[in-house]
Amino acid sequence: MNDAATRKLVLSHLWVAFLAFAVACVLGEYQVLERSGFITALDSPSVYFASVSTHGVLMAFVLTTFFIMGFGYTIATTTLKQPLWNKPLAWLGFWVALVGVVLAAIPLLSGNASVLYTFYPPIVAHVAFYLGATLLVVGSWVWCAIMLVMFLQWKKAHVGEPVPLAMFATTMNALLWLWTSAGVAVEVLFQLIPWSLGWIDTIDPGLARTLFAWTLHPIVYFWLIPAYIAFYVFVPKQAGGYLFSDEMARLAFIVLAVFALPIGFHHLYMDPEQAKGWKLLHAIGTFVVALPTLVTGFTVIASLEIAGRLRGGKGLFGWILSLPWTNTMVLSVILSLLMLIFGGFGGVVNASYAMNAMVHNTAWVPGHFHLIFAGTTIIMYFAVAYYLWPILTKKPLVSNSMALLQLWTWFIGMSVLTTPWHVLGLLGQPRRISTVVYNNLLTLAWKPYEFMMIFGGLILLGSACLFVYVLAKTQFNTSSETCTDELEFAEPIHAVTSLPEWLNHFTLWNKVIAVLMAISFGYPILQFFFMDTTGSSPWGF
Amino acid sequence: MTEEERKLILESPPIGTFALMSAVIGGMVIAWLFLYYGVFLPRG
Repeated sequence: MNDAATRKLVLSHLWVAFLAFAVACVLGEYQVLERSGFITALDSPSVYFASVSTHGVLMAFVLTTFFIMGFGYTIATTTLKQPLWNKPLAWLGFWVALVGVVLAAIPLLSGNASVLYTFYPPIVAHVAFYLGATLLVVGSWVWCAIMLVMFLQWKKAHVGEPVPLAMFATTMNALLWLWTSAGVAVEVLFQLIPWSLGWIDTIDPGLARTLFAWTLHPIVYFWLIPAYIAFYVFVPKQAGGYLFSDEMARLAFIVLAVFALPIGFHHLYMDPEQAKGWKLLHAIGTFVVALPTLVTGFTVIASLEIAGRLRGGKGLFGWILSLPWTNTMVLSVILSLLMLIFGGFGGVVNASYAMNAMVHNTAWVPGHFHLIFAGTTIIMYFAVAYYLWPILTKKPLVSNSMALLQLWTWFIGMSVLTTPWHVLGLLGQPRRISTVVYNNLLTLAWKPYEFMMIFGGLILLGSACLFVYVLAKTQFNTSSETCTDELEFAEPIHAVTSLPEWLNHFTLWNKVIAVLMAISFGYPILQFFFMDTTGSSPWGF
Repeated sequence: MTEEERKLILESPPIGTFALMSAVIGGMVIAWLFLYYGVFLPRG
């Protein structure tokens, strides 16, 4: 990756992502402290909910979107071996998204967008929040367009050749994001912005929640797919082995993208606006989407096993110890998979139609999504950053041991934070509370877990600071030592020379997604236009 | 490592992975059943 202009573009995206992440970590620690009630001076519901909203926006929307855009540009230019298509457009996308973040930050930090970073009426934010979020999404659509154009240009110039796996998955993610963001875009443009501007008096929250459910689950896969890309294309090579199967990886990405979309109603199991049959349909789809995760787990572990055995590992599990644990990418994937096992189990419980009632709206839910998102996914973002930084800055990583310490502390901190969070959920603590004002045996039993969470948050905050320090120290290191490393992609055991078109293009899958979305969301959305639900018309007019 | 040993590793089924995945899936099923029958149902 020798193009300085592209490297600058990528670094700009990644710095926005990681600075947002660092700020969000500070807010996260404040939140566990405030919620515990141990420091009464911190008690303030208004500050707490402003903080939760800002923390969520920074982590779930800013960190992810900017990271995915920067990572995508890296993948496109290196795997396709062609310059970035339309750099000015890419910069336009960056600035539009960044202006959106700043615009949204003003109401967030002033307490006028304390809507918990979701888009659920009747809580409403200042219009600047919705306009800012819209600009962020529009900026990301620019990235999607660039990925799709580069993919199609390459396909046209290389007829019959397999698209490199990393680019296949990245473009699949761009396509997934276009589908994913459509739901919330419609909600924001036709319901929330007119409502927050006072143009309409009332909107149908049932429709709003249904539209947000369209977005709410696949967005998680939009965040997760870059981690899976690193699993498949970087980890085997870094471990000293081969990718177990290129075709299996493509199939996993396809099933992820196709089945991540029509399943959002598992977020609405307790909602009255959708019938139970639709919820059951979405519940079944939710279990289908667990399959590509299992396939990914299998393929990545098999790739690691090959690497371990090539490094001299023997026996059923002896290869695990032979892996290069001091390689940041390898360590990250091991820790990520460990968190995926527990986080994935939590997800299965959430998705279980009946058992969901036990954990619905309890502390279990944020415990689950922190383990999957901030654990499994973000630790791979760290790994990618440590891998890319020397290539992007042309300077060697300032300290591998500091990076390893950071990864271990993130894993330990996340375990210490999320384990009591899950337990609190099972003990009945609701989520979305700023404080516990009751003083009975039930809430007193929560205290030790609250204390553990503060400790976990502190470890995570320290780890986050170390992460940013390592990146900054590497980039701004005045040493004359230069790094000439290039991005290395894993080779599959069996080289892929040709592929059926359904494993090498999206035309078919785009149609399949359209049909599945029409089936699973068609009637559930249209019903709001046929029946009088709450007295308010769907769009409020 | 000889070329033959290397080839053998690349062509052998990943038995360690099968064992690990079986343990993980089995553990998940047991944990799910525990939560369902041990926690969820007793709560009525």
